[in-house]
Amino acid sequence: MTSSASLQAAIAAHRFGLGEPDLSVVGSDARGWLAAQIGAADPARGDGLLDTRRALEHVAAEREKRELARNPPPGTTALQILAGHYRAVNIADARSRLATAAATRRPFAERLHWFWANHFTVSLVKGSTRGLTGAFERDAIRPHIAGRFETLLFAATTHPAMLRYLDNTQSAGPHSRVVAFESRRAARRQEPARVTGINENLAREVLELHTLGAEAARAGVYSQADVTAFAAVLSGWRVGQDAGWKDGEPFEPNWHEPGTKTLLGRTYGEGPQALHAVLRDLASHPATAHLLASKLARHFVADEPPPSLVGRLASVYLQSGGELAPVYRALLASDAAWQAPAAKLKTPEEFVVSTARLLGAGERMFERADVVNPAAAIGALGQRMLAAPSPAGWSDRADDWLGPDAVWKRVEWATRMAARAGRTIDARRLAEQSLGPLLGAETARQLERAADAPQALALLLLAPEFQRR
Amino acid sequence: MQPPSQPIATILQGAAESPRRRFLARLAGIGVLAAAPRLAFGGKGAPGGNRFVLVVLRGGMDGLGAAPAIGDPDFAAARGPLAQFRAPALPIDPTFALHPDLVELHAMLVRGEATLVHAVGLAYRERSHFDAQQVLESGASRPYELASGWLGRALAASGEKGIALETSVPLVLRGQAAVDTWAPSFLPDPSADLVARLERMYAGDAELATALGRARRLHLDAPAAAAPMTAASPMAGAPAARPGAFAALAGKAAEFLAQPSGPQAAVLELGGWDTHANQANPNGALANALRQLDAGLAALRNGLVAAGAWQRTVVVVASEFGREVAVNGTLGTDHGSGGAAFVLGGAVRGGVVADWPGLARARRFEGRDLRATTDLRAVLKGVLGDHLRLTSKVLERDVFPGSESVRPLALLGA
Repeated sequence: MTSSASLQAAIAAHRFGLGEPDLSVVGSDARGWLAAQIGAADPARGDGLLDTRRALEHVAAEREKRELARNPPPGTTALQILAGHYRAVNIADARSRLATAAATRRPFAERLHWFWANHFTVSLVKGSTRGLTGAFERDAIRPHIAGRFETLLFAATTHPAMLRYLDNTQSAGPHSRVVAFESRRAARRQEPARVTGINENLAREVLELHTLGAEAARAGVYSQADVTAFAAVLSGWRVGQDAGWKDGEPFEPNWHEPGTKTLLGRTYGEGPQALHAVLRDLASHPATAHLLASKLARHFVADEPPPSLVGRLASVYLQSGGELAPVYRALLASDAAWQAPAAKLKTPEEFVVSTARLLGAGERMFERADVVNPAAAIGALGQRMLAAPSPAGWSDRADDWLGPDAVWKRVEWATRMAARAGRTIDARRLAEQSLGPLLGAETARQLERAADAPQALALLLLAPEFQRR
Repeated sequence: MQPPSQPIATILQGAAESPRRRFLARLAGIGVLAAAPRLAFGGKGAPGGNRFVLVVLRGGMDGLGAAPAIGDPDFAAARGPLAQFRAPALPIDPTFALHPDLVELHAMLVRGEATLVHAVGLAYRERSHFDAQQVLESGASRPYELASGWLGRALAASGEKGIALETSVPLVLRGQAAVDTWAPSFLPDPSADLVARLERMYAGDAELATALGRARRLHLDAPAAAAPMTAASPMAGAPAARPGAFAALAGKAAEFLAQPSGPQAAVLELGGWDTHANQANPNGALANALRQLDAGLAALRNGLVAAGAWQRTVVVVASEFGREVAVNGTLGTDHGSGGAAFVLGGAVRGGVVADWPGLARARRFEGRDLRATTDLRAVLKGVLGDHLRLTSKVLERDVFPGSESVRPLALLGA
């Protein structure tokens, strides 16, 4: 390989992928290697994974436990009673996410899957998503990452995990049949009605986080009235606690607000078709193009990406009618994406998975829950798996991962990892094969001078060239 | 922490004479304020200087759930099912009370060690969590006007350091000041030899070098301070909190602050306040968050009292916004602007500070939210000026630029 080709291979492997122990897998055409990966994400690896239908059945089967949790016996909490039931599911989901990424030969597609799963965050921080987050990724995100954004948006918005995470399952049109029924029943029983109207949480976050963006709100592109109208469009899209999965769309007409709704100056009719139409219009809005282009460029290139790159990606998105694959190809074609310095800091999850790939441990590393339990380690490093702190997802800026304690915990984990794996590994050779021309002189010198093999591996894992991409 | 033996009503007498009365309710008949014990404060002669703690409640705490205005004539009608609590609300004065799960905080209010600031909010009046948190932490008037945090700028001005009890540095502490972060770990510290090699390797990467250097000083140069929490925590006699739980982090914050050369300011965070549904459930999200907050504030106080530092500490508890006054369609509340904040410490005046707007629909912001009549920056400017001794020039130029019209509140001293 020429020196420029090997530099491109190194950037392809680390910036756009999840690291490779040997750059020879990339070959001499780095852009071609990445472009060939564009498509639906790999099927998730692992045992005991539930699809959405079975995950909902598993949730529904907990009716008895939930009854108990409503009035926990002394000395127990609702959380304890419910947690046991989901433990196996959560472990299988987290392990599968890591194992799939560690073993994939299409790491660019896997990174895109992570990107979209974070864009459409559903988080275990909220109990209502329990048992559903893995199914959400597998069924709503993985198949749709390289098609039309509108398809991905619809799948994510209407997945039971999202409908529950952002409270839409509890939202009812104020003039819906269920509200009328509930208010009659409540009056009969002389108690407050349990369901009386709209919950606008999902509507607000789809507009602010998933499509038009907060910048658009500040610029007056949409207002509170649009949020309220969108919430009325969304009313009825729900999967009740014990309902399980019904065939077709999770829409219950009895919960839907009757009448037409006006959103962003357009009028939409009553019923489930309105959501298709609204999401189609949101997906094709220039503000959405700008938000998605900014986030993609920030994720792969720089915390503050070049405006020209963002503009280029947004215009490709709009010209292609909201197709995502042309946007990815435009990103790969951009010189800026390859020339930017490696200033992005890996997230804890990227760090741990790229370590597994570097060590050739692949998915084996995630099959055992031992001292270096990777899912727990990622949590200790500040990124509890499948449990982002808010619907905005994990931060994509280096500053947010550079706290002294966060860096210290990377040192602790790398030390422990290297103590286990380092005896049989020549970190100097591994550094050359994996980092190629990215390996700097100071790092090479420190690896050369290390006291022993485990220390050399710890230094490699913690080197700026491996921490950044 | 026993409730007082004397009736609350007696404590409230004398409040009417307080100069704080001017902040108080416009509504007739609203008395306010517990009488604060006369307490000296300040660092003169004490080991270590004054200390400040910020507790950020992420998600938008429902001010009327945490501190219900039970004496407001419109309260019951405006709140509907949310006017009921699992047990009677804990009264502060004829108008205001605390949620029954805020027992420890109530005890502090009764002792005159805590102030409830109600109908407080940001200059930002939209309803986005993310923009509002950016404003809360940056100290600006609008989202993304400033990229550093007001506490970071305040510490840079005083030349002191801060600490966040989490792995990363929150926006509020970003800036030029020296900031540590700390969270419990289950792995042993790396060797000093490896760290020295890493520092050489990071010579060309200033960000990694700075973070590592700070952590090294905290862990290797003063190992006792950063050691994992032990049973001998400040909460003696109380059940040990789970490491990483809010109460455990609050107790750890007290340990850091109590050190003579410790940080001047600590930041704690607690999430779980975005209560869109089933807010009145005794085991629901709001009750759970309030119980965690209450235990954490007690752990913080106990640790600081044990170390003799409570008298020179002020704690501000604030959220990015409040919630709508009325219940939403799912027995919860949606985002709204005005809410409640708390100011705690041995040196605070205590009582209630509120320019109370009332709860009738016509009095609400946009007919929906509790109207924010006090700018949170008035609280913060008062505390930073009186307690951390920042001049008004520094406060208005560096810490809260554009806040000239926001007059600091006097919340400390007898």
